[in-house]
Amino acid sequence: MTLRRLLLGLVFPVALLAAWEVSVRTGLLSEDVFSRISRIVPALLEGLADGTILARTYETLAAALFGWAIAAAIGIPLGLVLGLVRPLERLTLVTIEALRPVPSAALIPIVLLIFGFSLELDATVAAFACLWPVLIVTTGAVRGIEPRLLEVGRALGYGALARIWHFALPAALPGIAVGLRVAFGIAIVVAVTVEIAANPRGLGYAMITAQQSLRAEVMYAHLFWIGLVGWLINVAMIRAERHWLRWYWAARGAA
Amino acid sequence: MAQPIFAFRDVSVRFGATPILDKVGFDVAPEEFLCLVGPSGCGKTTLLRVAAGLIRPQEGRAEFEGRTVAEPTPELAIVFQDYSRALLPWRTVAGNVELALEARGAPRAGRAAEVKRLLGIIGLADHAQKFPLQLSGGMQQRVQIARALAQRPRILLMDEPFGSLDAMTRQALQDEIARLCKSERQTVVFVTHDLEEAIYLGDRVVALKANPGRVVEIVEIALPRPRDQLTTREHPRFLEYRHRLFGHLAKKEAE
Repeated sequence: MTLRRLLLGLVFPVALLAAWEVSVRTGLLSEDVFSRISRIVPALLEGLADGTILARTYETLAAALFGWAIAAAIGIPLGLVLGLVRPLERLTLVTIEALRPVPSAALIPIVLLIFGFSLELDATVAAFACLWPVLIVTTGAVRGIEPRLLEVGRALGYGALARIWHFALPAALPGIAVGLRVAFGIAIVVAVTVEIAANPRGLGYAMITAQQSLRAEVMYAHLFWIGLVGWLINVAMIRAERHWLRWYWAARGAA
Repeated sequence: MAQPIFAFRDVSVRFGATPILDKVGFDVAPEEFLCLVGPSGCGKTTLLRVAAGLIRPQEGRAEFEGRTVAEPTPELAIVFQDYSRALLPWRTVAGNVELALEARGAPRAGRAAEVKRLLGIIGLADHAQKFPLQLSGGMQQRVQIARALAQRPRILLMDEPFGSLDAMTRQALQDEIARLCKSERQTVVFVTHDLEEAIYLGDRVVALKANPGRVVEIVEIALPRPRDQLTTREHPRFLEYRHRLFGHLAKKEAE
């Protein structure tokens, strides 16, 4: 069943890649721009074998992870407070809604002045982009907590901080987990974008150098690799959610 | 009557301009099973929340052993009607019971044994490692009762605990709670809208009237224990109490 679904899922991409290869070979598409699969795959394997792609991947992922962690460290506590204290949420709403639409790429010149070309440049811009989904999802998840749960905490004699730790945070965790997963995808995208636009490191910079040296197959090799890595990370995070939030999935399975 | 362990002294509660309770006052004797019965909207749940220290009355006070109840204390345990919302879905059955032990700072070493003992008493020994939402409604309510007992409360406050259970489960739990509380000499204040349940369980029944909630009658229930779902409910005195109290509940609907 799962094998069949996997095969079915592969039909379309394989057909697309075949069409790509044929189009380039027949001259329908320019090989200079589109390269072709039979060149891209060897380029990818070569890059993986000599370690360059892995080194670039490490640079990008380290920066994305750093930025994502900063966003989580700020967004989760802030979201908890804003979700629990209504007046505070109203007080900060305008500020948040005004900052949120600022394109993260617009921060590159500013952050470049502060940190120069560095991991911190990627990470800071990624953190800014990740903060909003984490913050908004956390605030919403906390606001959606069953009020009875917090009352049970009071009735058992837990203080305000203990109620946040033992009741509000775990209750909001399934929502927060989704926010964190979405945010990590954004972190990778933003890190690569910053590398393409400005920062001479990581997978994004490798792509832009390949493009500039007219090696389209290397550029596509990196593109595919980024897609593959992002997909694997997403799968791993869903697995982790299912494991750490067993109670949530167990209940949904029973319902 | 023995020296009261608990008392309501002219308790008045208003929500905004709406009076909910008007000068409600009566005593609870040690080891007594006291039932509060009244039509919906008579403020019986509000009164129980005052007893638990979850809300403060505008006038009057709830007194536990002569001291005003100003905030929740482990000596007063409350069991809510909506068990599915009152249990922590991320904690196992055992974890939910242990929560009350953590709250009262019971030594870590003895906790597991105490949880096991309580789950045995309440008939959940085989379900310790399940999550609440994997259990039936009746079993979830048992978990909440076990958690309340884990507080080692001097008074057990129960807010329509069997109100959303099916008839068979309700009767089984009525008998278990009656037997358990009498053998453990537990003082109970039990809120229900079901007059027959109140008479069946209570040593005394306090009848409340609505708009605003006030005491209309207090009846001593002189039915032999242990009580029986068939013979007690067919006892001439049971019917007599029912006739006597029925009018207070029925009149509300006519108004």
